[in-house]
Amino acid sequence: MIFAGIDIGSITAKAALIRDNKLVGTCVIPTGYNPVTAGQKVFSALLAQTQIRREDITAIVATGYGRNSVDFADKAMTEIICHGVGAHFLNPKIRGIIDVGGQDSKAIALDANGQVENFAMNDKCAAGTGRFLEVMAKALDVELDDLGTISLSSSAPSKISSICTVFAESEVISMIAGQQKREDIIAGIHESAAARVGGLATKIKLKGPVIMTGGVAKNRGMVKALENRLGITILVGDLPQENGAIGAAVLASRMTL
Amino acid sequence: MQEITPFHTAINDLAGLAAGIHKNSGKIIGYMCSYAPEELIYAAGFHPMRLFSSKSDISLAENHLQAYCCSLVRGVLEDSLAGRLGYLNGMVFPHTCDSIQRLSDIWRLNTNHGFFADVIMPAKLNTPSARAYMKDVLKKFQTDLETAIGHSIAPEDLKASICLFNRIRKHLARIYELKSKFPSIIREKDLFAIVKGAMVMDRKELADRLENIVQRLEQKDPSPSSAKRIILSGSICDMPDIYSLIEAAGGMVVADDLCTGNRWFEGQMDEGIDPLEALTARYADRAICPAKHSGNTLRGENLVRLAKDHKADGVIFAFLKFCDPHAFDFPYMKDFLDKAAIKSLHLELDDQQQGQGQLSTRLETFIHMI
Ligand code: SF4
Ligand code: SF4
Repeated sequence: MIFAGIDIGSITAKAALIRDNKLVGTCVIPTGYNPVTAGQKVFSALLAQTQIRREDITAIVATGYGRNSVDFADKAMTEIICHGVGAHFLNPKIRGIIDVGGQDSKAIALDANGQVENFAMNDKCAAGTGRFLEVMAKALDVELDDLGTISLSSSAPSKISSICTVFAESEVISMIAGQQKREDIIAGIHESAAARVGGLATKIKLKGPVIMTGGVAKNRGMVKALENRLGITILVGDLPQENGAIGAAVLASRMTL
Repeated sequence: MQEITPFHTAINDLAGLAAGIHKNSGKIIGYMCSYAPEELIYAAGFHPMRLFSSKSDISLAENHLQAYCCSLVRGVLEDSLAGRLGYLNGMVFPHTCDSIQRLSDIWRLNTNHGFFADVIMPAKLNTPSARAYMKDVLKKFQTDLETAIGHSIAPEDLKASICLFNRIRKHLARIYELKSKFPSIIREKDLFAIVKGAMVMDRKELADRLENIVQRLEQKDPSPSSAKRIILSGSICDMPDIYSLIEAAGGMVVADDLCTGNRWFEGQMDEGIDPLEALTARYADRAICPAKHSGNTLRGENLVRLAKDHKADGVIFAFLKFCDPHAFDFPYMKDFLDKAAIKSLHLELDDQQQGQGQLSTRLETFIHMI
């Protein structure tokens, strides 16, 4: 039997399919303005890509901030629960997750069954999230995907003192004007973001092994800053961004219809 | 349940309700904290009304209060400065949290709503001298009210007031008792409307309406519920409707440790003794708020006991953002729960709340987790 998970995030929409407890495929598209059509689009795209027919899907679980706009799903579960299930599915040893997405960041503690034991989530403000990095990349005229690589060559990260995204941006702009090295500024941005996110992990006393999920996990510089901050090793899987959708698909497979 | 409709009507248009009372030549005294002695206010012939912020944009209050004050204190000041509280004939400030105390000074100097009183209650309540002091304070407040109305409050009026508030609180407590026994007996949004309405409606009418609700509920044959049993604790002094959000996330509130709930209506005053003594006992002995002190462990023990008595699956701490007394007590309260292996969730709420999506995500995850 085939099951689908759909994760509508603030910036990207993800879909995953599993068959007989194995991952068959995943797909990521930008969410755009309308979460309802994003859900339909990412789902159809994945079906086309895997050449699986809609009728062959037994159950669908939706997740992410737009979970309730996926009207063709059988059930909606929060992304915190789905990330737990997804990480456990891919690696049952995982006990901690740091998930940084477009506008949310979360620390999630798991028990041996992949159930959420405790969690902490950022408070409304976007500091430390993907959106924060996006704003900074723009200010620095750097591609978002290049932030990580560039920052790795820094030996003296700049110090960003503002927490607020808007103030931090003007701080960065004055650093550019002050001709500080780009890699140092970017490394400083990562440290500042890691301080916010790391605080969530400390709050719930996150235990290892820890994996990082969400789009921001693809940024090596950010992962490194978090590792330094927390003094731990952080794993990153092959599909960090799709992890929530994978978890949703696993939950769909557990549904008794 | 149609018996609850008047409560929804009342809380959906607080200004309209107040204007109605005002027009019927009722005189309204406002307050923002459950330590305001409603019984004395009522006995003096005033309508006691707990104030909530109208949640308008804050601009005038910015000149007096920093952004790090809770939204209730800022919001109510804004409402006054913007002329939205024309129905008030006075205001009472009990000596409780710092923000309310400081608002008292700002209020006295910058607003004009007639009667004004500070009720400087003791902070430490578990000593014999505190009790004597409490009685003096209440007596002084009584004198303030008497000066305002130009005659003394007859002892039988005070007694009648005590009996009326006993009736109100008895019914509220009974509704909560039924709710804990049969969580599906009443919807969360209805419970919310009843409690909030009880702080603003005409008290005689209220007592009768509550009695009707109790009668109706007692006849009901509630269906069993699989929702998770939640206890609410903290400071939702401005009463955002978190109840409905909890229900939508699969939970049900079975008890609370709120001054907009259990802490405010639990316990009866002794109708057989000197009324001022009875009042003193009430304000000295009721379950305390973190702005008061009554032993180092009382609040924590009380919360654990509540959770056990009501077979709670978890506790949700809901604080208004920037509420300092509750935030200071939180680590200690959470510690008590952790030691008793009771799961809890910490939420900060803001009147100017956007981001309801994140709130629901937290609630749904927590309720799924417990
Ligand atoms: S929490 Fe305490 S100080 Fe705040 S309004 Fe309630 S009783 Fe008053
Ligand atoms: S929310 Fe906190 S600070 Fe505000 S009035 Fe209530 S107790 Fe005081």
